[in-house]
Amino acid sequence: MKKKKWFLLFVIACLILTACTEYRVLERISLVTLIGYDVEDGDVTATSVVRQINPEFESSIEIHSETAETSKGTRVKTDLQSAKKLMAGQLRVTLFGDDLAKEGIEEAIHTLAMNSEITTSIYLAVVDGKSKTLLEGQYPNIADVGQHIFNLIDHNINQQQMISSTLHEVVRDIYASFRDFALPKVKKSGEYIDISGIALFKDGKMVGSLPASDSFYVLLIRENINDGTLQLVLPGELAESSKNPPNYQPEELPIAIDAIKTKRDLKIINENEIDLSISLDCRLLEIHSSLAISDKKITEKIEKEINKKIESEIERIIKYSQEVNSDIFGFGEHFYAFTRNSKLTEEKWREIYPNLKVNVKIDTEIIRSGVFE
Amino acid sequence: MKKTLSISESELINAPLLFFIINACQIGVGIHGFQRLIYQDAKQDAWISVIISFIFAHFIVFIMIKTLEMFPSNDLYGIHQEVFGKFIGNFFNLIYIFYSSFAFLVVLKNYIEVINVWIFPNLSATFLGASLLMIVIYAFNGGFRVLVGICFFSFICTLWVPSILFIPMEYSEISQLLPLFDNHLKDIIKGAYAMTFTIIGFEIINIVYPYVKEKNKVQRYVHLGLFATLLLYLSIMLISLTYFSGPQLEKTIWATLNLFSIIKFPFIERVEIITICLWMIIILPNLCLFAWSTHRGVIRMVNISSKKFIWIFSTVMLIFILFIKSRSQINHINNIFSHFGFVVVFVYPLFIYLMALIRNSFLKRKRTN
Repeated sequence: MKKKKWFLLFVIACLILTACTEYRVLERISLVTLIGYDVEDGDVTATSVVRQINPEFESSIEIHSETAETSKGTRVKTDLQSAKKLMAGQLRVTLFGDDLAKEGIEEAIHTLAMNSEITTSIYLAVVDGKSKTLLEGQYPNIADVGQHIFNLIDHNINQQQMISSTLHEVVRDIYASFRDFALPKVKKSGEYIDISGIALFKDGKMVGSLPASDSFYVLLIRENINDGTLQLVLPGELAESSKNPPNYQPEELPIAIDAIKTKRDLKIINENEIDLSISLDCRLLEIHSSLAISDKKITEKIEKEINKKIESEIERIIKYSQEVNSDIFGFGEHFYAFTRNSKLTEEKWREIYPNLKVNVKIDTEIIRSGVFE
Repeated sequence: MKKTLSISESELINAPLLFFIINACQIGVGIHGFQRLIYQDAKQDAWISVIISFIFAHFIVFIMIKTLEMFPSNDLYGIHQEVFGKFIGNFFNLIYIFYSSFAFLVVLKNYIEVINVWIFPNLSATFLGASLLMIVIYAFNGGFRVLVGICFFSFICTLWVPSILFIPMEYSEISQLLPLFDNHLKDIIKGAYAMTFTIIGFEIINIVYPYVKEKNKVQRYVHLGLFATLLLYLSIMLISLTYFSGPQLEKTIWATLNLFSIIKFPFIERVEIITICLWMIIILPNLCLFAWSTHRGVIRMVNISSKKFIWIFSTVMLIFILFIKSRSQINHINNIFSHFGFVVVFVYPLFIYLMALIRNSFLKRKRTN
């Protein structure tokens, strides 16, 4: 009996003591929350935002920048600079300078995807300029630039103001044969950081960009959305048709709408033609007070004008993506999925896409217009 | 040694428990990354391969139980000895013993590899193996009924998997399943063949059968258990096919774990790490029952106490783990095992069924003469 007890004690001791094989005490590590990559004469420059937890004081933010041949090499160099072990498990955003983005980020993304320490839910974005200058800039109102950029991207994606760019989605699209990906673009503007647009990629290389105001349309073409606000400028003649025409005759009539529910529908007509119809249920947020929006006729007119306007904007955006030959909307995937024995190859789609005819049809319905007429 | 088993009443189990045994034995390490193996052949129709492989498994299990019914109080080892006589029978027994211990090794090594890659890159495989084997030894010494209890817990532990997988569906693209049936039937069957590594485990019925109280209900519960596994595998396959793009899936080694890695809760950000740790409870019945199955075979040839057996067995397994190191070696072994497993689990039962039929009719004729 006694022997058994000792044996049990031995086993318990073994299990409990050896549980400390790999410990990571929060106070003894520093957390990398954001990494920005740039390219400099063929070498990679990694700028990392590192949060250090200190039990006595507030946690501090440090920014390290190192240049090496591989991204892991920069990590080793950064490790040499910092007093605590660097851990990438809390990484939330990875930025790419636009020089690197133009050169191609496929390899950098491959490295990220290989690492089990990093989740696939981190956001990727492109910087207008160098990510080093963005991160090392002085921002009096921003305490933690890493967390700030993450929140900036995160809330805009959640509100469907910006296309989603998690590592998973980018990896999915990068390896998909008939699809290209797009990333949000961030920019330093004075003492603030803005989302400035959308970067379009082709084969992992940045080939063009769209302004941030177009992101609603890009989302509209890509998927079904249920949020996101859009401002439109409609022609001024609409105001004339109101019951009490306003004293002044505006040349333009700005309005703002908010998508409640949209549904995108693609229909293949033939190899080089596709129908894109989007139904858009929206809420009117802002309109000139003189327009009697409860009048059905006027509402219909407004809807028609909105349709026209959105159609032309979408046509412009699709045309631009065709010019740079970057199929960020996944039309190719649709072609492949809905034609039997299509024998579509990546090269063939690259030839078809610039000349693809897309017939855009928008069907807007204003279903709500606030509490005051 | 003795030809028929004498099992005391207290060691018998009720037939409904077979549901948990079959389910727990099938779900193991294969589920972590079976998607890419099947996708390589069957492309977007991989989910059809899953269904086909299960249809085949249902058929094979039916044959297995038919064979076992001819010898109501004997397991496969006993059947071998009865049908082929002592020497040839023992030869087949050796093969089956080898199969069971090989399966044990593969499950153990694959799980250790997952822990090493995802959580503790520097933790030695020997240490992990030794601590896992400790638990196996502890459970094994509890006897067969304890092992069945572990199977039940393991089933409960897999229940949360499908519910949590609804979260990645936010990123699903249904159109990635289309066009349907665009691949050759040959490729889809090839994909079903690649399921072998993931689907095997139900052959444990060969050994468990004599321990079941209500023999007439065996068919029902074994098929139910298989069907439950099919539902789990099929849902994981469908979610993976829509969540990943094809070439990405081909590059993802553990697609199921990658599915978990996008899930984020306010209280726990890395769900996959919890999942991998919990997976120990899921693979435990695999390990225990394969060890037990080896044990049943060994005692027919050597007189050895179960305690002595499990210590020797664990030591041998630990030594083997030391030799398998790199990812490519593991892949190679998995590959060999899945070919070998296909023969033992899917082809061999047909052969033994035929042999048993011939023997029975031969005996009948002899008796009438």
